[in-house]
Amino acid sequence: MSATLKKPFEGLRVADFAWVGVGPTVSKYLADHGAEVIRIETNTYPEAVRRAPPFLDGLPGVDRSGYFANFNSSKLGISLNLKHPRGPELARRLVAGCDVVTESFTPGTMARFGLDYESLKAIRSDIVMIAMPLFGQTGPWASFAGYGHVLQAAAGFNHLTGWADGPPIGTGIAYTDFLVPHIAAIALIAALDFRRRTGIGQFIDFGQWEAAIHGLGTAVLDYTVNGTEQTRMGNRDPEAAPHGCYRCKDGRYVVIACETEKQWEALKAALGRPEWCDLERMRRRHQRLQEQKEIDRHLQFWLEDMTLDPRRPEPTADDGPESPQVKRFTTDEVVAHLQSFGVPAGVVQ
Amino acid sequence: MAEPPPVPLPHPSGPLAGYRVLDFADEKGQLCARLLAELGADVIKVEPPREGDSTRQRGPFYRGEAGAESSLYWWTMNAGKRSITCQLRLQAGRDLVHRLVAQADMVVETNAPGRAADLGLDYATLREVNPSLVAVSITSFGLTGPYKDWQATDVVGVAMGGHMYLNGDEDHGPVRTLAPQAYAQVNVQAAVGATTALYARGVNGGLGQQVDVSMQEAVANAMDNAQATWDISRTNLSGPGLRRNTYGTVVLKYLYEARDGWVAALNGGPIQGPNGQPLIDWMAETGEAAPIDQPAWREKLLSQAPLDAEEMAVVEGVIEAFCRTRGKVALVEEAQRRGGGWAPVFSPREIVEARHLKERDYWIWVRHEEMGESFLYPGAPWKLSATPWMQRGRAPHLGEHNEDIYSGMLGIDEAELRRLRMRMVI
Repeated sequence: MSATLKKPFEGLRVADFAWVGVGPTVSKYLADHGAEVIRIETNTYPEAVRRAPPFLDGLPGVDRSGYFANFNSSKLGISLNLKHPRGPELARRLVAGCDVVTESFTPGTMARFGLDYESLKAIRSDIVMIAMPLFGQTGPWASFAGYGHVLQAAAGFNHLTGWADGPPIGTGIAYTDFLVPHIAAIALIAALDFRRRTGIGQFIDFGQWEAAIHGLGTAVLDYTVNGTEQTRMGNRDPEAAPHGCYRCKDGRYVVIACETEKQWEALKAALGRPEWCDLERMRRRHQRLQEQKEIDRHLQFWLEDMTLDPRRPEPTADDGPESPQVKRFTTDEVVAHLQSFGVPAGVVQ
Repeated sequence: MAEPPPVPLPHPSGPLAGYRVLDFADEKGQLCARLLAELGADVIKVEPPREGDSTRQRGPFYRGEAGAESSLYWWTMNAGKRSITCQLRLQAGRDLVHRLVAQADMVVETNAPGRAADLGLDYATLREVNPSLVAVSITSFGLTGPYKDWQATDVVGVAMGGHMYLNGDEDHGPVRTLAPQAYAQVNVQAAVGATTALYARGVNGGLGQQVDVSMQEAVANAMDNAQATWDISRTNLSGPGLRRNTYGTVVLKYLYEARDGWVAALNGGPIQGPNGQPLIDWMAETGEAAPIDQPAWREKLLSQAPLDAEEMAVVEGVIEAFCRTRGKVALVEEAQRRGGGWAPVFSPREIVEARHLKERDYWIWVRHEEMGESFLYPGAPWKLSATPWMQRGRAPHLGEHNEDIYSGMLGIDEAELRRLRMRMVI
């Protein structure tokens, strides 16, 4: 039976004018589920991620970037110079046979080539078009450009990532490039489902910043309702204790989080009920939130004591059962032990 | 006094209007279901009677006071939904829910595989009740595999999924983003799966399916080029502090301290390459570009030839000194005017106060009529021209729509409702 099922977007054709990370990730969702996605690029200026490493065999080349490959598998590619006098006309002929247009230029760029929504709608009345610049189509910052590394700063992710007394180091990656495409895809697929049922197309003004703000959890309402400005606090959490990241003897890190009393009881059992965790001031979550420094010290000590030090020699037949290298475990084994008691724990990997 | 607005506000012009979603989700799926409500779907949150959904106990709370109706987490993630109570540990509760499933298009649930079966929410059972149903099953590690029964909170998700390894610095180790990103990622990616499966149903004669969404995999999907870098060059990227992950080579800092906070300027502006020259000109106007405005330096930066550690320190020193005496928004606006893709490091307050978002009418006042107050909520994550996004009012109170749904949809009369309440089924 499954052999006769269609891939959902089979039969849809997409003209993908988008570049770098966000736009190509959105159209890849369609491509991976059956749509014919045509990346339209110019030969005169290869896009940024084609020029970005990692390159196959370490040799730069526009067709050698693993970065580009990750965003653009499952697609077709054509080259078309929109700045050539005949470029826009060819693009419009292509769009006439398409169902979807995606783009991520700064606002006004597509209009300069006669490829704005109104013009394309005249050629293809039921077209669904999504435009995905950083800051949307209107407003004082509409023309601002940049990559996900800096948009994560505007969207609050830097402010919320780092140590309490340290700088807003952010996520180390172009984070919003890996958050907002999913949000854009939801809107695009919903619009396509509406079109499937009604035949009506539309334009989607997608501002990456406005979407990213929905990834901030309670940080917005905590300010607009309570006037509280959430800020980075390392690996602690204002609602849970213990909540931290601990270094093991092999240099790897383990996270442990107890959001509920049940999880805390599980941790106590997994640790073998040492005296400190049965102290009265460790009993309830709101109490433990005041004792995090001490809790962290105990957990750090426990993890170091439990885990194997790879720099020490392998145990020999002469080592008794209490020898450090015999009674200790790998970091993965320690996490599996915690999980077997029902403690939310994991290796940072 | 004016009539209070209905909860939720009707949204017949949404692209998903007409679809009905039953939401049994915790933190891993509530935002997913909320986004569907904002697209027009009728989303019904099903909660245990009396104590309600566990996230009602999740802080922060309105004025710091815990209570079933005061969690800002609940408010944020469940706005625009209806709420009913139903005890799924009782057969009578499961029977009621299955009658609703028969009238629904989608279920969003976040139970571990065995537990879903105990509650009558496993796909085998749901499919029997409604073969057209899209069942979105969101779990920490997926429905199969060695970790399928492991416990996870957000920090375990970002740790095991790889994101945390990419954050932080060498001195302190990995660090998490305070706003939970494993939860954010799994929710939005689940919603892509959910809408894709709805579309698939439309082209496959109404046949439903299960969508298996793993929080760990959702996080692993959000690691920039870290996997490609490992695959191709066997470089294992890790937390770079004020720099960024770049395939194992160290590049210029991207964060600089301004007079009133920080700015993000990727690759120091970018100060290298053709776009760097106008930025050097800018700093030279006030005599603050020395020595990098000298011809040899300019040529070197224009050529994008690699810089050694000493040269990087010189360039970063110039940018640092220039930024330190200026306000961050002014810096960003001028850099952007000169072709530099800069952005300010904003706190939640600064985001709410940002001029650009105000001028795009982003923020929405949401009425909490029972408290006599309105609060500002984030606005449209996208602007659809024909089927607009809509914020549909506050989150529902516990069981607020029991009568609407049990009487209206299932035709249960008042006497029977009373009996169900007394038996603590609803």
